[in-house]
Amino acid sequence: MGMDRLIRTLLALVFVVSACSSNGGRPKRLLDGRPAARFLPVRDSVVAAGRVLRHADVRDCLAIDDRVDVRADALVVERIGVDGDSLTFANRDGNGVYACDGGSDASGERQPPWCATVFGELVHGRLLDPRLDVLCRDRRRRPLAYAFIDPVSGAHWVGVRQDGYVELYEVLAGLPVRIASTRGVDAEAARASFEVTQYDAGGRELVAGTLAAAVAG
Amino acid sequence: MRTFIAMLGMGLTLSAVSGAQAYHRFWANCNYDSPTFMTTMTRDAAQDYANASRYEGYQWGGGCWNYDDVDSYPNDPPVQTGTHGEGGDCSGLSFKTWRESTDPSRDGRYYWRALRNVHGPYDAAAFRDGSGAPNHVVAKSTAGVMDAFASNTHIGMVFYRSLYGGDQIVEAKCEACGTNIFYRTYRSDSSYGGVGRWGWTG
Repeated sequence: MGMDRLIRTLLALVFVVSACSSNGGRPKRLLDGRPAARFLPVRDSVVAAGRVLRHADVRDCLAIDDRVDVRADALVVERIGVDGDSLTFANRDGNGVYACDGGSDASGERQPPWCATVFGELVHGRLLDPRLDVLCRDRRRRPLAYAFIDPVSGAHWVGVRQDGYVELYEVLAGLPVRIASTRGVDAEAARASFEVTQYDAGGRELVAGTLAAAVAG
Repeated sequence: MRTFIAMLGMGLTLSAVSGAQAYHRFWANCNYDSPTFMTTMTRDAAQDYANASRYEGYQWGGGCWNYDDVDSYPNDPPVQTGTHGEGGDCSGLSFKTWRESTDPSRDGRYYWRALRNVHGPYDAAAFRDGSGAPNHVVAKSTAGVMDAFASNTHIGMVFYRSLYGGDQIVEAKCEACGTNIFYRTYRSDSSYGGVGRWGWTG
């Protein structure tokens, strides 16, 4: 039974490089230039690259006082999507999570690659709020919004509806998933809405809804 | 007895309605008017603005209040935006008091009326990092009137420095404690950094 599930999962995880895609709305490459992979069970998907790092250098994006709040061997989740990239890691006490959001700083004061840093408080392992960030701009100077998603039980992928495709983020290291989008961003009102669907490892939809987030606190 | 119970029920119903109406009357006056571009911005005026927001409540992600010295909706569930309660949150109060733009690349001075519902693009951590053109990091030892102390989760502005090592801080603190001036020791708290607004004219 376990082997069956493993095989199904492996089959589902067959990625097809976007060069084979005939859908014009689906981007062919991620932010760093690598080919955009797809996850077959989710139509028009683009898989954001994600990996877990240990001993990652996060000093560039953290305030000096915060650097002591992060263990040197903390697990750091690096994500590179179509328009955004981020780092996510827990603080030393495990009662909060940081995210470094990539892009250009709207005010031009922060040095790339990071344009903002956020901190989300965890209560009973769940975030108090999505920690929306609207301070960044993408390569085309469009407002780029970032937010955390708390995965539901059994979720392996978090999908975000973008223009013409679904961007998929893998749930990694037991941390909230930092998503990014230029769609549904109201920078003037410091609000953004994200159409989010969570899937299990085989691509079965678990939960779907709209996350309406606002800058707060 | 039956009449009494009926009247009691009616009274309770009416009292609930009037509370709801008070809440909706408050929110109906919140607006999205454009701010007024100003050429001046003094620390005295900022003190007055923040001082006037006292007792007006606290709303997570909020930024609309009147000047009746009452929180029109004091029992909002915490950490929820969109409940239309009265008051700013900590970063919303700082944003409006510091006359900032919703565009972080602009460092001009924008006067927001109390009933203008606006929070601004910064949370407390962004303020602490000095994010945005109007903001910058200052040494805590030199932080003065209407500079601020910010942590990852909170920001409060210096109303005046106290004789006892701490400061009188004007801040929107929480649903239960509202917006007020409190004695705080953020200056010596390592989780807080100093933040300032560029462009004071006096």
